[in-house]
Amino acid sequence: MSVSKVVIVRGKGVLPRKGEVDSKILSRMYDRGVQLLTGQNDIKEGLRSIFSPSDRVGIKVNTIAAPELTTPPDVSLPFARLLTAIGIPEKNIVVWDRTNRELKEAKYRLNIGGSSFQIMGTDTAGAGYPGEPLIHLNIGSLFSTIQSSLITASVSFAILKDHGMAGITAGMKNYFGVIHNPNKYHDDSCNPFVAELFDTSPIKGKHRLTILDALVVQYHRGPSYHARWAETCETLIFSTDPVAADSTGWQIVEKLRKEKSLPSLEEDKRLPLYIRTAERMGLGKANPADIQVIEEAV
Amino acid sequence: MNRRHFFRGAAGAGIVLGTDLGPMLRDLYAFGQKANLSHVEARYYKSLPDREIECELCPRRCKLGDKERGYCGVRENDGGTYYTLVYGKACAMHVDPIEKKPFFHVLPGTNALSIATAGCNVNCKFCQNWEISQVRPEQVDHFDLPPADIAETASTYRCPSIAYTYSEPTVFYEYMYDTAVLARRKGVKSVVVSGGHINPEPLAALIKVVDAIKIDLKAFNQDFYKNYVRGDLQPVLEAIRLIARSKIWLEIVYLVIPTLNDAPEETRKMSQWIQKEIGPDVPVHFTQFHPMYLIKNLPPTPVSTLEKLRKIALQEGLHYVYMGNIPGHEGENTFCPKCRKILIQRNGFEIETNALEGGKCPNCQNPVPGIWA
Repeated sequence: MSVSKVVIVRGKGVLPRKGEVDSKILSRMYDRGVQLLTGQNDIKEGLRSIFSPSDRVGIKVNTIAAPELTTPPDVSLPFARLLTAIGIPEKNIVVWDRTNRELKEAKYRLNIGGSSFQIMGTDTAGAGYPGEPLIHLNIGSLFSTIQSSLITASVSFAILKDHGMAGITAGMKNYFGVIHNPNKYHDDSCNPFVAELFDTSPIKGKHRLTILDALVVQYHRGPSYHARWAETCETLIFSTDPVAADSTGWQIVEKLRKEKSLPSLEEDKRLPLYIRTAERMGLGKANPADIQVIEEAV
Repeated sequence: MNRRHFFRGAAGAGIVLGTDLGPMLRDLYAFGQKANLSHVEARYYKSLPDREIECELCPRRCKLGDKERGYCGVRENDGGTYYTLVYGKACAMHVDPIEKKPFFHVLPGTNALSIATAGCNVNCKFCQNWEISQVRPEQVDHFDLPPADIAETASTYRCPSIAYTYSEPTVFYEYMYDTAVLARRKGVKSVVVSGGHINPEPLAALIKVVDAIKIDLKAFNQDFYKNYVRGDLQPVLEAIRLIARSKIWLEIVYLVIPTLNDAPEETRKMSQWIQKEIGPDVPVHFTQFHPMYLIKNLPPTPVSTLEKLRKIALQEGLHYVYMGNIPGHEGENTFCPKCRKILIQRNGFEIETNALEGGKCPNCQNPVPGIWA
């Protein structure tokens, strides 16, 4: 039976001070993440095994808890720049989220058109939502045209954090930002909705890579930012298996909670069962026994 | 109402108004931008530690962290204070016959100034107005319309009532409440069209300032509510009880969806419950479903089904049982339950004859409950 690979890279010192990123350490984290994930020493070869130069790549970041708990441009754009090394033009790389307001709060400088990276929210003129909902299992939603039409390959660049309703939020739930009505899918710990949303063709058909931003992990009282329960972990997690990435992120949150003498998510009755549902739906591996975790510090 | 006029993608532009009021309102009101949301503190919530809140407006009781929105999509926690984002931000305003709501025992033959904001606290798969109810306020065109202007506009257009309708007025509770208070001072009545997912305390307060509430009872079984409404039946029944025990007028609508909630036994149980808990005089409307939103694989409700369910409700002793969305059918008419004389003859939303005299049957003097003047 095949296993799914998840790479955890720790970059001590990547966040030297609050709001600052050490770009050299970050660069090494990306390099090792790609190398270990793809088994290719050559970064370009590694990326080519995931993306094609003809791809239009969407990097879906999560800026809802900006500015404190988000993936800032200092972290996401260096990854976008790596993609240009395999021949993807900057203009074909879209860093995006739900709204321009949230992106700006996360310190992104919006850019639409031209030859640079495209940075935009779904509320950008010319993007938006189509007129009819896509229906799949329990999901009935309008999908951002950025995800459904503009891009051909998708990266979920998600913040790893505790979530009061879902248990945790990570790579798969980040795609709630694709649809117009995520508030309708938080019942029952977001189960099965996170998995069923991922299973839709605009997402499953385009998803190539999960990167979990665990540089700072909100391990309790998420998804909002609370400094007293936010741990600086200086970690990035990489996987092409969206379920394995989230399952591994779940274990990290649980470990932090245990270290801080907090109840487990099960004791808190907040198990992220959508991860197991996703496994049952064949979207990836959730059982730690089926996941090869490679950890490295740079 | 042309629903296609409501929803726009972010690339869209334009306004959302009925053809009759549009030209005037274009001049009167500055149209809000999509991000032009209100920031008015919500009522009915409690603060929790760590900037969290619990909404107490509806039975969902959403517990939300900072910057999170409730299930309704129109109320947001900002730093531990809960705000309504749609106060004074209407996305629809039309002059409609009150029969369209439908209210059949409230001021028949008059118009209701009908308003809505975005948002809803359930997610019916058969929603007829999903383009405004199932979206966030920034995803639909809206315009500034303060409560005082609504009451004024109702007077200008000789509407004796304001209807809070189309989406779910519970989610714009503060806006509805304040409008109703101002409207009453001007002699304008307020009527509410709701799914009934509202907690007793805010409902009791609302009852004091409005004149009538129509509840959409979506089914009479919890499974349907869970699977097709994403809500619960019991709070709706509690809301119906509370309204029925008050002095305001109540009507019930039951949208009949083929194979999903059209079982005769379910209608019989519902009719028995209404008879026992509320009494026989509450009007009950069985209305025809049309394929919509997430349920497009079912046909419109056969007229014969509506006739059958109406017959069951009448057999169970309910006095005023109607059929809706079937223009010209005799099930649209009001009959005297005592002598069977036709009292109000309708054709769609039109009143063809109204024989009521002082709220009584002219033939047998049987009083017919309702708001007739």
